[in-house]
Amino acid sequence: MSDTADLLELARRAVDAARKGESVEAYASWGRETEVKVYAGEVEALVSAESRGVGVRVISDGKLGYAYAADPDPGELAEVVEQARTNAALSTADDGNVLPGPQPIEPLPGILLPDLLAATPEEKVELAFAIERACREADPRVKGVESAQYGEGLGRVAVVSTTGVEASAERGDCWAAAVALASDGGAETQTGFGLQIARRPADLAVEAAGREAAERGVRLLGARKPPTGRMPVMLDPFAAASFLGVVTAGLSAESVLKGRSLFAGRIGESVASEHVRLVDDGRELAGPGAEPFDGEGVPTRRTPLIEDGILRGFLHNTYTAARMNAVSTGNASRAGFKSTPGVSTTNLILSPGTETPEKLAAGVGRALLVQDLIGVHSGANPISGDFSVGVNGMILDGGVPAEPVREATIASTILEILTNVIAVGNDLRFLPFGGSIGTPTILIGEMTVAGT
Amino acid sequence: MIDEAVLRDALAAALATGGEFAELYAENRGSTSVRLEDRKVEEVTTGRDRGAGLRVVRGASTAYAYTNRLDRDALLDAAKVAAAALHDAPNAVVRDMTRAPERALNPVLLPPEAVETARKVDAVRAIDDAAREVSGDVRQVIASYAEGAQEILIANSDGMIVADHRVRTRLACTVVAQRDGNVQTGSWNPGASAGFELLDQHPPDQVGRKAAQQAVVMLDATGAPAGEMPVVLAPGGGGVLFHEASGHGLEADLIHKEASVYRDRAGEKIGSELLSAVDDGSVPGLWGSFAYDDEGEPSQRTVLFEKGVLTGAMTDLLRARMMGLPRTGNGRRQSYAHLPIPRMTNSNILPGDDDPEEIIRGVKNGLYAKSFAGGQVNTATGDFVFGLSEAYVISNGELTRPVRGANLIGNGPEVIARIDAVGHDFEVWWGVCGKEGQGVPVTCGMPTVRIARITVGGTG
Repeated sequence: MSDTADLLELARRAVDAARKGESVEAYASWGRETEVKVYAGEVEALVSAESRGVGVRVISDGKLGYAYAADPDPGELAEVVEQARTNAALSTADDGNVLPGPQPIEPLPGILLPDLLAATPEEKVELAFAIERACREADPRVKGVESAQYGEGLGRVAVVSTTGVEASAERGDCWAAAVALASDGGAETQTGFGLQIARRPADLAVEAAGREAAERGVRLLGARKPPTGRMPVMLDPFAAASFLGVVTAGLSAESVLKGRSLFAGRIGESVASEHVRLVDDGRELAGPGAEPFDGEGVPTRRTPLIEDGILRGFLHNTYTAARMNAVSTGNASRAGFKSTPGVSTTNLILSPGTETPEKLAAGVGRALLVQDLIGVHSGANPISGDFSVGVNGMILDGGVPAEPVREATIASTILEILTNVIAVGNDLRFLPFGGSIGTPTILIGEMTVAGT
Repeated sequence: MIDEAVLRDALAAALATGGEFAELYAENRGSTSVRLEDRKVEEVTTGRDRGAGLRVVRGASTAYAYTNRLDRDALLDAAKVAAAALHDAPNAVVRDMTRAPERALNPVLLPPEAVETARKVDAVRAIDDAAREVSGDVRQVIASYAEGAQEILIANSDGMIVADHRVRTRLACTVVAQRDGNVQTGSWNPGASAGFELLDQHPPDQVGRKAAQQAVVMLDATGAPAGEMPVVLAPGGGGVLFHEASGHGLEADLIHKEASVYRDRAGEKIGSELLSAVDDGSVPGLWGSFAYDDEGEPSQRTVLFEKGVLTGAMTDLLRARMMGLPRTGNGRRQSYAHLPIPRMTNSNILPGDDDPEEIIRGVKNGLYAKSFAGGQVNTATGDFVFGLSEAYVISNGELTRPVRGANLIGNGPEVIARIDAVGHDFEVWWGVCGKEGQGVPVTCGMPTVRIARITVGGTG
């Protein structure tokens, strides 16, 4: 176990080794994770992990070097700084290589609840069994539970630099997930995924995760390829989060700088319908991406990205901000102590509307409610904007489920879909997909749904 | 790395609550990487990672705890955490420990840590320069060098202790070429279980040129033909198809989970008479080779197909025990933070007797598949779809125009049955195979191979 004072001390010792004229930053982290996976009433796997380490950036004459070490002793720590220094001398100078200065950081009370850590291994195993039972008992057509999992994570970080940053924080959360196998007794099997997140086990709706997996699997039974036709398409929060995950790639200033953003050069222009209000908010505690400061010690904030359909800005770390003459938005991301800061979202949030998804569906006649997007990895291109994916879900008729659908495809572009959003629901929900995405149901105007 | 007495105590603590088998895997890994993009050396990174994982198994239950401290207290804590997942059963004992003999499989002539980092930066710049010299259409070059040196120590309650030292180096280049709004990419990423001498076998300028040539040649590509036709797979790169469409289905965990089309078919003639294939982690110096696997079993040659007859499966320790199969040295893991699972090493189709040029000459209208992009395989049915990143039309026995947007659509067992020519040449392709979130170095090797007919999904 390593507390934040210990991590600050580790980071300070690295920074103390700085030489005149150098900028040095140390990022120290410690984490503990537990994951329990059960299958058919037995523990299939329990994995428990603890890791601690430090990563050091040395910048000298605009040249950046990086080195890291897991759990270093004092001698190794000195070696890490020396290696980063040697590496800096070999890289190309870049005006963007600067460290941020100190900024006041407001803590986020509630980001770590003391009783997150209270559960014994036996209690964690019992939580996983509770998810599995709830899933199996939710519906007689649930023939099996492919997996039921409980997981929790606790993390602490400290960032110290020669430019005056000295920040430390801790966070924790837990989650429950299940995959149900539904069958009517024939050869057909449908799968459904359910998920809940919380900041401590006592607040985690474990049964709801199991029931959700069951419902999402069972309602696809009898699904067929629909006849090809044009109709409005609703993305439920799961499907909407997959879609927004592709959109976000283009909202990072890093992708703008590398020529990989379809939003480059379009600030102030309309890129979506007026119903689209997209923000990044690292201070929203309901989202698992909340942090008081980013991977460089810059405070997180609320950054409007798309307001009423108009592109307002990009997400920055200190490097991209320096290169593009902007201000860091507190979106420097680290994949642990082994990586230099990149740029990513904290909590990406699509602002909810006022109507329930049911009410929205009732107003559009025959529509397709999508619950899964399939093949997003290969079918969606965040650079060109092409978006061609498989979908599973339900045809709704005046809001009433008519028939389940599978193996249909929708083909469009990211910008066409954003521009064609005709409403958003009031059912905002956070999902830990590619970081953290909070989204309600999205209703898109008529699209071609290709089937038979 | 860790005293034998500490190993024994940690294993005993892991078994204290009823485990049948316990294992400790420790590693200490040093790595250096250099990355260039947009003509700039963006990142030079040096790192040291170390840690240990304790695994306890009872029946079908596995508990795993890992930590990146290697001292006695941390290891005993991890053992207790793993043990706490199991309870209420008589426990097994730790047998007397015997250290396995040292096995020096992969010679390292130039230990990379002894080579100045400046030479590694020079190599990356040489890749960049050579790639840009190929054509004015080259728009972007991403070049990298990576090395890793891994010390591992594995001990288990059966009394085994194994130590191994693994060194790997790799060069990588991705080139983006553009002409008239048409964008194409090419890449070439050779690696070896060797030291800095990798650069003698694969000079950096050659790596840059190969990646650039692929991107540039594809700028001239036009739509691919569609329909059933003979397809010639190029040596090396074509091995990806065998790896994905047949190799994964022969990993014992997928067979055990009933997720393999090859389940219960050992001894059956599934492939063509011309097909003999092996997985061999014991070829000195290859990117997918090692002396011992990540559970301490010596690497070895496992025959998968002998003249078309299915002869073997690739196992790890657990699957071998559960299924009553021999261990084949295929238990691998990405790091101490991962559980071992059955994985391929160097999976090869063995050379045959045919002349590669004759194989192409025997095709009136068909396709030459030189390099593969991503794809999808359903291991339970064997059905696959693969994109081709470099392919050419064969017309009257000659390679003609390059094509883009071609897919190969088929079924693993059906396709290997339709092999009707196997060349006497042989090349390997280097990759990092992903499975259950773990990446491990692998090669695919093969001669020129012809498939009598396969569906090509093209753009017309």
